[in-house]
Amino acid sequence: MTTTETTTDTLRRRVQLWFGPQHPGITGNMSVQAWLEGDTLTQGITHVGYLHRGFEKLMERRKFIQSFPIVCRICVPEPDTNEYLLAAGLEELAGMTGDIPERGTWIRTLVLEMSRLQMNLMTLGGHIGSMGLGAAPNWLIAVRDYVLDRFEELTGGRIYHMYIIYGGVRRDLPEGFGERMEETLTKIEEKLPLVDNVIFDSSVFRRRTVGVGVVPEEWVDEMSLSGPIVRAMGLPRDIRKDFPYLIYPELDFEVVTTTGSDIYARAWIRRQEIQQSIDLIRQILARMPEGPYCAKLPNMLTWTIPPGQTYVRAEATRGEMGYYTVTDGSDKVRRIHVRGPSFVHGVALLERMIPGTNIADLSPLMVSLQVCPPEIER
Amino acid sequence: MKTIVDDIRTRFIVEWEHQQREDLRQIGVRPGTVVPLLGWLKLHSPFVQLTHMSAVDWIEEGELQLTYLLTDPVGMRSLMVCTRIDREEATMESVHALWPQAVTYEQEINEMFGICFPGSPRQGVPFILEGWDDMPPMRRDFDTVEHVHAHHPSRPGREHTDPRAYIGRVFGERGFLHDDD
Repeated sequence: MTTTETTTDTLRRRVQLWFGPQHPGITGNMSVQAWLEGDTLTQGITHVGYLHRGFEKLMERRKFIQSFPIVCRICVPEPDTNEYLLAAGLEELAGMTGDIPERGTWIRTLVLEMSRLQMNLMTLGGHIGSMGLGAAPNWLIAVRDYVLDRFEELTGGRIYHMYIIYGGVRRDLPEGFGERMEETLTKIEEKLPLVDNVIFDSSVFRRRTVGVGVVPEEWVDEMSLSGPIVRAMGLPRDIRKDFPYLIYPELDFEVVTTTGSDIYARAWIRRQEIQQSIDLIRQILARMPEGPYCAKLPNMLTWTIPPGQTYVRAEATRGEMGYYTVTDGSDKVRRIHVRGPSFVHGVALLERMIPGTNIADLSPLMVSLQVCPPEIER
Repeated sequence: MKTIVDDIRTRFIVEWEHQQREDLRQIGVRPGTVVPLLGWLKLHSPFVQLTHMSAVDWIEEGELQLTYLLTDPVGMRSLMVCTRIDREEATMESVHALWPQAVTYEQEINEMFGICFPGSPRQGVPFILEGWDDMPPMRRDFDTVEHVHAHHPSRPGREHTDPRAYIGRVFGERGFLHDDD
């Protein structure tokens, strides 16, 4: 945090400072140019661009199959939603949505829930870590690593998986995967009561989060808010239920909601969704059908897709993730535009919430909005 | 969904429409129709959310497409409103008065495609590209390789392998996978 400018008037002192891009309290490589009077922020402007690698442009110059190593980098801790949406958009435009084998669809859903589980574990740790409390984040990152072990076993990669491809998934579940996944889920569940105790029963956490960072309900439609931010104000909105995809309609789960719309409520939603993902993974593994895991694909080096455009969406842990995909009949996309929830939550919403926020609450606020800079700048 | 498009037709000229999915309809309108139409939809229809805004470069036709995705959060459906503007005089009316987050979309589209939205608060303010002095990079005629060579020269002595030449040499003209394999 660097003080770069100090101005004075007759009564007050207004200080401008840069929060990030290198700061342990910032959510990734971005920065907030903030102005404050005393401890209170009066204005903030989000600055991104530190991670811009021109992903959307790169995809316009590559064959369809070559885009998977690109899209998984759009959100480092949650790459699978991007892989799924890239595949779903182009499968729809190619007219092959109905060709995806049932098992492939179930495995895709399994992967998305594993991804949601590990991401929520990390974010919940971030909630309390952003206040300088270190034990629970370490526990949560440790148990998250068990899920990464399963990812490594399944896909070959811990972070970037490139596992969901057109037509289904790249390979089948390894033998005994279900049993090892169950062991992992059990280990996580054993740790969660301790985490609850340190986070939700902590008076420090409660005093720092209850009534802090409240998002008014009228902003939801005005700004197209989504995800835990919306569910923390009592609105049961979840793409998995509202715009059903994959096998979610066949799974038994309820949308988690609470009231308060503050940082505490958003953390509580994430905690409940950890348990929800554990339950969903168990359901999926128990009911996993047999059969092929991927459709027969055309030659990926000569595959062309008829002209068309579509928008596909999925529920990421942060909210609505969408891919606007345009094809022109060639072997490359004409345009792919990634709509990450952080594009709204990390810029327009964050800047609107900053005035009046205490400087010490900025980091917890950003974690609670789950701002992911790479999906803003792609 | 058909009802809302019929309703739109009674008030605005719809150039084309397409049902992409059960929950996604697409319509094309003239540029001057976009803002009145979106304003009407926000006030008088369930499509109250601006979920997404994007641009596409149709360089062969000398046009840029603007796409607005509106969502009905209760009826669980979306309406994609598309329009095309001249590529050389790329100007479009802003929708930031209808949806505040449109400022960010318009700022980014201005930077990446060179489309101006007069009156939109952050036009010309760098969003991602700081100190950019080339053409808007998401335009199709932006040459990434030329830009890289001009701005990021290779370290002296570093060997470079052209990927296209390498793949052609190793796997042949059509690559190593064939339909009959």
